[in-house]
Amino acid sequence: MNDPYSVLGVSPSASDEEVKKAYRDLARKYHPDNYHDNPLADLASEKMKEINEAYDTITKSREQGGASSYSYGGSAYQSAGQSRGASGSAQYVRIRNLINANDLAQAEAMLNAISNHDAEWYYLMGSVYWRRGWMDQAGQYYRTAATMDPGNPEYRNAVQYMNQGGQAYRPAGGMGMDMMGGDAACNMCQNLICADCCCEAMGGNLIPCIGCR
Amino acid sequence: MYGYVRPVKGELKVAEFERFQGVYCGLCHELARRYGFLSRFLVNYDFTFLAMLLAEDEPADLCPRRCPAHPFRKRACLESCRSLTLAADMTVVLGWWKLADGARDGQFPASLGCRLACLALKRAYGKAAARRPDFAATVRNDLAALQTLERDKCPSLDAAADKFASILRSISGCVADPVRQRAAGELLYALGRIIYILDAADDLAEDIEKDRYNPLRYRFRPVDGKLAPEDEKLLRTSLQHSHNALVSAYALMGENAYTGILSNTIYLGLPAATQAVFAGTWNASAKIHRKRSNL
Repeated sequence: MNDPYSVLGVSPSASDEEVKKAYRDLARKYHPDNYHDNPLADLASEKMKEINEAYDTITKSREQGGASSYSYGGSAYQSAGQSRGASGSAQYVRIRNLINANDLAQAEAMLNAISNHDAEWYYLMGSVYWRRGWMDQAGQYYRTAATMDPGNPEYRNAVQYMNQGGQAYRPAGGMGMDMMGGDAACNMCQNLICADCCCEAMGGNLIPCIGCR
Repeated sequence: MYGYVRPVKGELKVAEFERFQGVYCGLCHELARRYGFLSRFLVNYDFTFLAMLLAEDEPADLCPRRCPAHPFRKRACLESCRSLTLAADMTVVLGWWKLADGARDGQFPASLGCRLACLALKRAYGKAAARRPDFAATVRNDLAALQTLERDKCPSLDAAADKFASILRSISGCVADPVRQRAAGELLYALGRIIYILDAADDLAEDIEKDRYNPLRYRFRPVDGKLAPEDEKLLRTSLQHSHNALVSAYALMGENAYTGILSNTIYLGLPAATQAVFAGTWNASAKIHRKRSNL
């Protein structure tokens, strides 16, 4: 493994506080929520793992009992197709797997071969477009899916995520502008509250776990 | 080229601003050195950004140089290096095709100007295309595909933007490290989509007036050269998602000598340009910016 201090970008003489701060900022940067259905999610999660390991190594070697117990994980995060209410046929399951493996051309070809376009078809087509970076088209397909099957939480969440502008890392201090004409810092809180509600609905809780760090 | 990709000057440190100016001037010198005097006119902010983004562990020394635009006082210029060479080659290839586009589609006085510029730069283009055959082929094919979409009045904003975005993404092929290469590919794709859409939004009123193709005309139903508020919101939200993708990819690029300037451009410059385009003040602010910075 690389030198844990250089992974966190701090010197070995840094104080515990400095180490913690560097760790937090990096964890915020590579947090799985910033790589929601993103083709680079695997790289980010590798990075996250590296950061967590580095932080654990440092805290353990400094023998600050208990302090190492927290680290940002990606467990609450689920990507496009996995387990999130995959109700459809075997074919849709295969397509979801292809999308998760980033084989978008194959997924699209399989979708195009299906003549009966139900809500899930539109949702999965939206996922393909989303990962390809066709954000406008993805939104249209997600909305169609949600209109065809208004009760489905997966489609509804996708539309909601689409409409509220998603989320990405912004460095602290004055770099909080976004493309929608608002203040990104403000949106971030909104997203956090949104995510917390989702988490709570699934039995977890997000805000306290960040709040106590 | 378009000029949307630039830092917010007031938020740069003095040293960063000097460095940024050094890259811009360095690119201009590199163009002259490799492709002759006329190609200097193709220098632009977008490829200055590219030169900084793709810089690796190469020296970033500045040296004072004189040039026709600043004949009396020498300016600090970045010395020729791999990323400047790359940016200069790409500038000539893409710049020439853009001129060819203008010669074909433009209206009389402007189209003649483009045609003459095209002729004057033909040799430079030939050289650049021979040095970067893959890139030249991508640009040629994707612009031809875009032309077909334009002729068919393609209503899909993403399909039209995809052609330009793919051209930018292909530049990531020059990055050696596989992780950086993947990240650069996603970053440049999202950037290309943003540039294409901003350009379309900026030109919407004019394109409607002159009855030219603009994807926003067919994706939405603009009235009096303007998008309805809910359509504009939809469009800007989709730009936000591209910007998120860009930011997330940028985080995986690692740092280099230009990180401060790049971060400024990405986190502040792009949103500011977007703001100005949608407020209808972009053209005016771009002019003021040029005058003030004297770049």
